[in-house]
Amino acid sequence: MGEAILSIKDLGKSFGNHEVLRKIDIEVDKGEVICIVGSSGSGKSTLLRCINRLEKQTRGKIYFHNKEVKDIQKDINDYRSKVGMVFQSFNLFNNMTVLENCMLCTRKVLHISKEEAFDRAITHLKEVGMAPYINAKPSMLSGGQKQRVAIARALCMNPEVLLFDEPTSALDPEMVGEVLSVMKELATTGLTMIIVTHEMAFARDVSTRTIFMDNGYVAEDAAPEELFGNPKNARTREFLSRYLAG
Amino acid sequence: MVMSLFASQEPTNSIEWTVFLARKYSDMFLQGTYLTLYTAVIGTLVGFLLGYLIGMVQDLSINPEDNIIKKTLTRAIKWICSIYVEIFRDTPMIVQAMIIYYGLRQANVEMTPVFAGILVTVLNTGAYMAETVRAGIGSIDIGQREGAFAMGMSPVKTMLYVVLPQAFKNIIPEMANTFLTNLKMTSVLNVIAVQELFMAAKTAGGNYYKYFESYLVIAIIYFVLCFVFNKLFGLLEAKMQGDEDYALAVEYMDNQ
Ligand SMILES: Nc1ncnc2c1ncn2[C@@H]1O[C@H](COP(=O)(O)OP(=O)(O)OP(=O)(O)O)[C@@H](O)[C@H]1O
Ligand SMILES: [Mg+2]
Repeated sequence: MGEAILSIKDLGKSFGNHEVLRKIDIEVDKGEVICIVGSSGSGKSTLLRCINRLEKQTRGKIYFHNKEVKDIQKDINDYRSKVGMVFQSFNLFNNMTVLENCMLCTRKVLHISKEEAFDRAITHLKEVGMAPYINAKPSMLSGGQKQRVAIARALCMNPEVLLFDEPTSALDPEMVGEVLSVMKELATTGLTMIIVTHEMAFARDVSTRTIFMDNGYVAEDAAPEELFGNPKNARTREFLSRYLAG
Repeated sequence: MVMSLFASQEPTNSIEWTVFLARKYSDMFLQGTYLTLYTAVIGTLVGFLLGYLIGMVQDLSINPEDNIIKKTLTRAIKWICSIYVEIFRDTPMIVQAMIIYYGLRQANVEMTPVFAGILVTVLNTGAYMAETVRAGIGSIDIGQREGAFAMGMSPVKTMLYVVLPQAFKNIIPEMANTFLTNLKMTSVLNVIAVQELFMAAKTAGGNYYKYFESYLVIAIIYFVLCFVFNKLFGLLEAKMQGDEDYALAVEYMDNQ
């Protein structure tokens, strides 16, 4: 195995007495592309939000390069600048243009120069095919365009890990493809990615490892050929057959 | 007939009286207009700052994982802020003016009536704006903050660069309204001897026992001021809503 970049150890999360994550152990190596699948309510979003620290876990620890991510705002900001996140609802800053969206955090968090921030923004906007739209406001873009900008914005931070929470679920069917192809391209660059998705074909083709979550547990964690071709867990089989059926 | 134009005779009807008073006390009315504007503008602007500050404080969330000192302190500050807001929203400005001016005088704090008038306007505006700002911040989708947090922006920077500008834009009409209200409400400050428009009318009218005509003069002045500012704010708002168009940056088109 390669070097572990993220280790999630015995992670648990409850909302009140509703236990959403029960006992999660995941090791993420550099360059892995991990897809997380599972039925609605199984805790996938909550897990990603815990990893990005938007939710605080009620049990367990997260290690980044073998160092515990402590609960100090400054450390959290620092950690988040290296472990970015792309949301189902894009969350582009509505008061800013595409270019400003891509430059704000590099300027204010990484404190790089205006010129460098601009170069980075253009580079990544080109990667996702959105460079001609630098002067547009988010409200003028289609869902697929917004999500591609959101991906470019996250890439501008030069993250070591990028988390995706159902990046195509809010999109009209004809726009899903353009976002998935951007992500497919990204997966070949060696960026470490953790992707929650309901796109089974994408997960099978692109991931280096697939995790099936069920009821707050990691029910199965295997290579995609294994998980989709020969699932060991009864719940995985049930989930996949339901998915393939309709 | 020609002679009456030079106002050497007594005016004979209300219109003439109105013109007469406006001319005779033009300096006083101008000075009153100036003080009314001065108090309203400074009071409103500083009041907005106060309102934004308190609105942001009231938006602070108390994190159950924080240590006890931080939690207690946050609670105490929020509590003080909400008491201040309640008091100023639930009492009339004219009474606040009296209490603040005479109260501070009794406590041997020296201040001019104008300063006291501005202070009252600031405190009053702050209390109303705090609520408006809090609601404005609350109306911004939580995803806007999470988008910034997720890339390492601190809560303060997120507030400054992402949330507040959007809240600000949404509450511009409310702010314009507050300013117009203040412009009119400065009239109560005559009770603490601020020489604003109302005071000018009272003095001018008193000299000839022509109150109707004298208040008519300032009614016209108030009307013109409010009308003009109202139109200005309307233009400003339209301009801010404007730029919904964008040009494709052709220099980057070849990559498509
Ligand atoms: N802030 C919250 N407060 C209370 N309960 C919550 C909160 N967030 C999530 N939950 C609950 O946690 C459970 C898991 O939610 P989560 O969003 O992680 O599921 P998911 O696997 O992402 O589902 P989906 O596929 O529908 O996105 C759900 O039952 C949800 O109601
Ligand atoms: Mg989810």
